[in-house]
Amino acid sequence: MTHLDAKSREAQDRINGHVKEKYLNYGRFELDANGEGILWFSASDLVSLVCKLRDDPETAMVRLSDLSAYDNVDRIDGVGRFVYFVNLYSVKFHSRMRLKCLLTEEEAGGGILPTLTGVWPMANWLERECFDMYGIRFKGHPDMRRILMDERFEGYPLRKEYGLEARQQFKDTLGIRIIPEEEGAK
Amino acid sequence: METLLKNDLGIPLQDFYNPNVLLNLGPSHPAMHGTLRVMCRVNGETIEDATCEIGYLHRAIEKLAEHKTYHQWIVYTDRLNYCSALANNVGYVMAVEDVMGVVITERCMYIRMICLELARVIDHIICVAINALDLGAMTVFWMLYTWREQAYTIIEGMCGMRLTTSYTRIGGMSYDLPDNYQSEMKKFVEGLPKTLDDVEKLLSANRIWVDRTKDVGILTQEECLAFGITGPVARASGVDQDLRRDRPYYNYSDLDWDVVVATKGDVYDRYLVRMEEMRQSIKILKQLSAKLPGGPIWTNDSRVLIPEKKDVYEKMEVLIHHFKIFMEGIDVPPGESYRAIEAPNGELGYYVVSRGGPKAWRIKIKSPSLALFQSYQHSIKGAKIPDAIAILGSLNIIAGELDR
Repeated sequence: MTHLDAKSREAQDRINGHVKEKYLNYGRFELDANGEGILWFSASDLVSLVCKLRDDPETAMVRLSDLSAYDNVDRIDGVGRFVYFVNLYSVKFHSRMRLKCLLTEEEAGGGILPTLTGVWPMANWLERECFDMYGIRFKGHPDMRRILMDERFEGYPLRKEYGLEARQQFKDTLGIRIIPEEEGAK
Repeated sequence: METLLKNDLGIPLQDFYNPNVLLNLGPSHPAMHGTLRVMCRVNGETIEDATCEIGYLHRAIEKLAEHKTYHQWIVYTDRLNYCSALANNVGYVMAVEDVMGVVITERCMYIRMICLELARVIDHIICVAINALDLGAMTVFWMLYTWREQAYTIIEGMCGMRLTTSYTRIGGMSYDLPDNYQSEMKKFVEGLPKTLDDVEKLLSANRIWVDRTKDVGILTQEECLAFGITGPVARASGVDQDLRRDRPYYNYSDLDWDVVVATKGDVYDRYLVRMEEMRQSIKILKQLSAKLPGGPIWTNDSRVLIPEKKDVYEKMEVLIHHFKIFMEGIDVPPGESYRAIEAPNGELGYYVVSRGGPKAWRIKIKSPSLALFQSYQHSIKGAKIPDAIAILGSLNIIAGELDR
């Protein structure tokens, strides 16, 4: 909380209060070290929740800042192997909030999380990275491939069980393919 | 003879309007600014379809974050956007300080803001100079690089390094400013604006430059929002946002400066925005240097304080403290924070999740370059091949930050 000035603090607190009041039916609400809100949700609600937060004039979370996941192998955040998170930014109020969702390993691989590419085309590469690093699949994603690692890579490097020293080397390179714009960007 | 002139699809090679020619740009090409790769389907010289591939510079920096202590990882932040390493250093330690609740001293804050603005100036110098160089304007490149060299001289005096600075520490800075800081900075803030004027005289009304950049690579406000584009590229498209003003951190709200916004969102406007932002950064640098307070650069929070070397040699307790910080690392309490700064290319965020102990549980870097490069395959569609090079230069994508 050290770096926020009074005006931003006030706007942030107001949004926190509003979310706490109106969105608690989605899941529990907590604050992080900066006093920014974290709302937990269940996977199937994702698209309706972000659209509601985007269109609600009191929150106006119109910009996607970031999206990824982290390993919850020690179960500190609850029962579920992974925590998927979405960082949102309100251009109108200059405030942030974070959405989080717990996923079991089966849910992650089975693709029960819907894609956000329909809301923000930017989510395309971010979701591909999330799949690449953790093996979380997204339902309805137009191009669910690895992005940073080679397509022949086995395993998911950011899972805790993947060793830091583990190496997979490939002698040759793969060809590149063009995805039509309609699929890729929309 | 007849067979030699046909390609695999049986299309005669004399047919220049064959819509199925694939052109590969990168990953190792002088105009591709690092290891970026684009595959284009061209019809004549028009790009009809394109796709980008990333990952050539992936070094598992986020995985390393989970295996190094918080201090050890500072050096990896240098290697994200290596053109403005200082800004990455500052953004990272801010995020960790948030989780710990460490309050830094005023002098430390001023030095960090000087770092942020100096990083912005050199990053914009690189972008404008290389963009002009790609389009054939070599003089501009040499003129601006003189000042980049001067900036690196200042940075070298500050931390002993030029590119990989690792200047910040959690709770302070590795070194105080050097004795000749004020005189060197004076040279820089007085000399650079003159060169910027000269560069504008060379470029802004230059027929070739204007023809190559105006109406090229236009991104609308809606596209900027959809692709999550921030920073000077978004401001060139008329998106009036700057985290330094909108969600001020450190002392930005007390300084006199303006957010630069253009309207059209083409390559020319991005050039204008970056030129003016350099002037604004110089204005900020002047104010910071004039107001620079004295006092310590280190917080006295004993959880993070790295003691003076002299005391380490003379006092037993301080030696133990020093040993524990460097052998075990600092103990960060469980918690999390997402801290974003207005880096030269846009919103640079660090999401730090701590579960206690000296190593992070997860650090996710939100890099502005990823959003920019994702929009690239969209914005070069319909453009000519030389335009693609002009657009790429104006987006200023840094592969180190893109692939992490």
